[in-house]
This record gives sequence, C-alpha cells and structure tokens, in this order.
Amino acid sequence: MKSIIKLFTLLTLVTFFSCDKDEPATTGSMEVEFDNIAIVNGIQQQLTMATPGSATYGYTNSLGQKFNINLLRYYISAIELEATDGKVYKDVLEATASGTKGYYLIDESKPASQVIELANLPSGKYNKITFTVGVDSTGVLNGATGGALDPATSKMFWNWNSGYIALKFEGQSDASNGGVSGAETITADNAKGMAYHIGGWKNIPGTAFVYNNKRISFDFDTDAIVDAKSSPHVHMTFDVLGLFNGHHKVDFTGNHNVHKPSDGVDIAHNMEESFSFDHIHQ
Amino acid sequence: MRLYLFAISLLLFTSCGKDDKDEASLFPKLPDYFPSPVYPLNENPITQDGFVLGKDLFNDPLLSSDNSVACSNCHVKAVAFTDPQHALSLGVNERSGIRNAPPIVNMAFMKEFMWDGGVVHLDFVPPNAIENPLEMDEKMAHVVAKLNRHSSYPGRFKKVFPTMDTITSPLLLKALAQFQLMLVSQASKYDKVRQGKSEFTATEARGYETYKQKCASCHTEPLFSNQQFFNNGLDTQFADEGRARITESALDLGKFKVPSLRNVVITAPYMHDGRFKDLNAVLEHYNNGVKYSATLAAQLQSGAKPGIALSVSEKADLIAFLSTLTDYELISDPRF
Ligand code: HEC
Ligand code: HEC
Repeated sequence: MKSIIKLFTLLTLVTFFSCDKDEPATTGSMEVEFDNIAIVNGIQQQLTMATPGSATYGYTNSLGQKFNINLLRYYISAIELEATDGKVYKDVLEATASGTKGYYLIDESKPASQVIELANLPSGKYNKITFTVGVDSTGVLNGATGGALDPATSKMFWNWNSGYIALKFEGQSDASNGGVSGAETITADNAKGMAYHIGGWKNIPGTAFVYNNKRISFDFDTDAIVDAKSSPHVHMTFDVLGLFNGHHKVDFTGNHNVHKPSDGVDIAHNMEESFSFDHIHQ
Repeated sequence: MRLYLFAISLLLFTSCGKDDKDEASLFPKLPDYFPSPVYPLNENPITQDGFVLGKDLFNDPLLSSDNSVACSNCHVKAVAFTDPQHALSLGVNERSGIRNAPPIVNMAFMKEFMWDGGVVHLDFVPPNAIENPLEMDEKMAHVVAKLNRHSSYPGRFKKVFPTMDTITSPLLLKALAQFQLMLVSQASKYDKVRQGKSEFTATEARGYETYKQKCASCHTEPLFSNQQFFNNGLDTQFADEGRARITESALDLGKFKVPSLRNVVITAPYMHDGRFKDLNAVLEHYNNGVKYSATLAAQLQSGAKPGIALSVSEKADLIAFLSTLTDYELISDPRF
C-alpha cells in the first residue's frame, strides 16, 4: 500500500511538471552575430566578396596563391548557453516539413542571416556558448525538411549521398586549374574556379563516412546578462582565410573541387579553428 | 485501488491535451509476417488527398526541365513501377543514365535507397532524379516555382498541408512519398499461400525449397531482400563501383544493394545495369557465370567453382516459384 501511495505521489508530480506551460519568472533575449571576416597580417578586415567570374584576387593563402570569394554559407545549429550558476539553456531543435527551429543558415550575401535571435531565454548571466557547425543526424533522418533546411532554397544538400553540406565556399584562384563541377557560382568552363563543399554527419571507421561537422565552445570574457530589460549582443567572428591558412595549408592547385566528406577533412579541421568569440555588447 | 490507479493513468494520458487528430492513415494493413515500416509514417500521415496528389505529381512531366519526363516514364505501373525496356534509364532528350531503374514497391520498409544505398530516406530519393542531368535535368527550386504558378496544384497542396503558405520542396517530397509508400506488394500468390488461402503447385513448392537453400540468405523473406550490399560476381573490373562509390572502401567494390525478388518475373531487364534480358540468363549467371574477385560474396564461393550450382530442373522450379511473387492486385489496382 505504501508503495502505491508513493507511486501516486510520483504520478501526480509527473503530471504537474509535464504539463507545465508557465514560462520561468522572467525571460529575455540575446543576439548572436556571426561576422565573417578576413584576418590579414593579424588584422581583422571586413570581408570583400567578388562577383562570380571576376579575376580580381583580393586575398592570398599562406602558400602565396591569390584568390577571391564568391559565396560563403554555413549552418550553425544546436546552440547551448551556459549560465554562471551552471544552468544550461538549449535552443530548441526541430526539423519538420513545415519548418525548422534551431538551425541557422549563415549566408555572407544576406546580412540578416548573420544575426541569430535567441528569444525566451531564461533570465541569467551567461558566460559560455556551444554550437555545431553543420547539421547532425536528427536534421537528416527526419526526411524532407522546410525552413533553413529546405534543400531547394538552402542548396546545401547532397542528393547522391544524403546529408547537409556544413559549409560551402566558392571562389576563384589564379593557382587553380579549374574543372569545377556542381558549384553554384562557378561554371564548368571556369579555368580558375574553386568549390569547397564541406560536410559529413556519419562516422563509420574505415569508410568515407567521416564526421566533419564541428561542435565548438567559447567562454565569454564578460557575462552576458539577460533579463526583461537587457538583451545582450554576442559577437562571434569567422575568419574565412583560416579555412586555407590554418592548421592545414591548403594548396589550390589540384585540390579545389571538394564535394564529399572524405575530401573535406582538413578544411573541416581548419574551419573549426577559424571561429572566435570576439566581444559582447551588453 | 487498481481502478483508482487506472483512473490516474488515464488522467495522466489526457491531461496534456495535445489533441492528436490521429488521422486514420491510408497505409494498408500488413500481413503478420511483414516487418514494420521503416518510414516514419506518423511524420507524414497518408491521407486520401495527399496520396492522390502524390500520384498526380509522380505522373506529371512538369517535374522535368522540358516537361517531357515524369517519374512514371521510368517507373511504369504495369511492371511494378520499373522500366520495362531500357537497361539503362532514359531521361530528357533521350539521355542515357548509368543504372537500371529499380521497381518501386515496398519502399516503406527500406532503410537505404538506390543500388548503392547512398540515399537514407525515401523523401530524399526524388531530387536525385529531378536534378540529375541524365534524368529530369531540373532544379528543385524551379519545380517548386512551376508548381506554385500552376492553376490547381497550390490549392491541392493547401488541402493536404493546411498550414502552408506556398508550396515548398519538402511538401512536394512528402506528397511524392505518400504515393510511393502506398505501393505495398503483399498480395502475390506466395502471400496467399503463406496466409493459407492458396497452395503451391508441386513445381512451385520445389522451387521454394531451392530458393530457401540457395537464394534466401540474400533475397530474404518476406521482402525478398536482406537490404545488404553484395558482389554477386558479375564483373572483375567495376565500371560502376557500387557501394564503394559511397563508402570509398575497397571492401565494397562492386557491391550493390540486394534487389527484392517480388514481382521479379515482370521487372526485366535485370541487375544494376540491366545486363540480363530474362530470368534464364540470371540463373545461368549464378550457375555458370559468376566471376571471382576480392569482394565476391562468400555465399558464392562455397563450391569448387564460384557460383550456385543449379540443375536444369532446379532452374525451372525456381522460375515457377519466382512467378508466384507477382502481385497482380498491385499492378491492376485502379488507385495506383
Ligand atoms: C530517367 C529515368 C528515371 C526517372 C525519370 C525517375 N527515376 Fe527513379 N530511379 C531511376 C534509376 C536509374 C534509379 C536507380 C538509381 C541508382 O541506383 O543510382 C531510380 C531509383 C529510384 C528509387 C529507389 C528505389 C530503390 O529500390 O532504392 C525510387 C524510390 C525512385 N527512383 C523514385 C522516383 C521518383 C519519385 C521519380 C520522380 C520524381 C523518379 N524516380 C524518376 C530512374 C528514374
Ligand atoms: C550473396 C547474395 C546473393 C545470393 C546468394 C543470391 N543473390 Fe541474387 N542478387 C544479389 C545481388 C547483390 C544482386 C544485384 C547485383 C547487381 O545488380 O549488381 C542480385 C540480383 C538478382 C536478380 C536481379 C533482380 C533485379 O531486379 O535486377 C535476380 C533475379 C536474382 N538476383 C536472383 C537470385 C536467385 C534466384 C538466387 C538463388 C539461386 C540468388 N539471386 C542468390 C545477391 C544475391
């Protein structure tokens, strides 16, 4: 009998909590900006994009090869914020045909896409952010998905080997010998084109199913205080040159047409190291 | 006391008031020896309007660049939704593809799609055809735009997906899936025998025994595929790398997804490249044509020479048994 009473209490408790529709006492919001930049000689510069087909090269990789950028797009997903009291806020992840939550497609050609608004955040002092660059299995295995993951509008899906491209870079280099296929801004007859489509969400050792999405964390230098009155702005940067000049020095001669997970491993590693936390506007 | 607890659990069940409309899915009732669907039917409940919309899209050449090729060009109902003629599929402007179009039946139970298994969800299959220059040579975004401009599609989509504003690619893919999911083959003579409603002839029964001994390890009941990848000894050099195209592993060279044998009598030509015109040629391949290579399936290496020895009478029996796998109800069902 005693155990039945215990069970009853438990059940009541469960009912109570599972249907709790009340918001926490106060909530606020936060903006997380992903600012795509170029770090040249240690100095941050705003990114300059070139029109497709342009042979004007504003950037140089660490091997001295000149290049430009036509397209830059990547997914940020599964954002988590950690508060100073140890509580973790997880941005809701949802992928259905009618839309998505928690998947953000950052597109250099669309300034509005570079600022992620996290609304209904419990009030608190946040000092750490974690996010995934790319789309993990739940985003893929739900089948055709709308919103940020719509394959027709995002153009970030690999048909032949189901999965989302985490990061798409297209441009031109005088070192490239062309012949790029399957690119958006580079035509097949472009003798200097480059396409780096980086992705891969499975991990099966001994096969080409390599995991190239990256889960990255940053501590903030000051606390981001969220409450009903203040909505801080967190400024992250992504150094595009780091894709090629990072840990792995990327040679644009002969390795400039990347369209599958196994070919993107080094650049995915560089990509991970090209994100930085910059500052917070309170 | 028990009643009391029961009442509480009932309460628990309903207390959150998430009113699932629980639309009676059109998906057919399955025989008890069938597996449960792999496709998450709850995320794309099949409705009458959705299924008919999917069917009309499947038959509509609007999905191709020059409005000339529909899904049904290569997946023909009369032959269990495969291509009755072309070894290699034929797309817009008579462009020849690289593989044989497989039948589209029992897709609800498949984990992976295409001969190489590169596609992991039924929803993601159509863009491969639509955006392949050798097939429908279109862009998804352009198909979506054409559908939105169409006189009747926007209204029909809205009826199926009431919360939508405009037609989007996932809605197109969900509708196509609704039609394809309904193509369940479960009413062949073989099924009737299993359900005790019919009996095999003596030849069919002998063929069934031969099949169980020599073929069932790969073409496993009741789907007649174990959904794994094998090299069944067609080649020593692999113009089409098969599964290795996806895994890039030398261990997968020349391996292809085991095709279902349901309806096989009417789905010629055979193999990933349609190289065999009839079942006699297939059986003669297993009997006397299997070529050794490093990735050849172990099951085909148990005898003195590679392959599966089949006597003349075993072949005849096998063909009689395979003939019982044809689902005439499916291919004559006016709904499809
Ligand atoms: C030009 C011929 C052609 C057209 C048009 C075509 N297909 Fe296919 N289909 C194929 C071929 C060839 C394959 C096998 C491809 C492979 O394995 O790489 C295939 C494979 C499939 C499969 C996977 C079957 C399996 O067992 O894995 C499905 C499902 C399918 N097609 C559905 C469709 C739909 C839906 C459409 C219309 C949007 C369509 N097809 C249009 C030729 C075609
Ligand atoms: C080791 C696994 C294995 C065994 C055993 C096996 N098969 Fe197959 N079978 C396959 C594979 C794999 C394919 C597809 C190969 C390809 O297209 O490259 C195939 C293809 C076929 C096809 C062509 C189907 C189509 O739609 O194109 C037929 C028919 C067939 N097998 C019949 C049989 C029969 C009958 C037996 C027994 C005598 C048998 N198989 C034994 C693996 C096997």
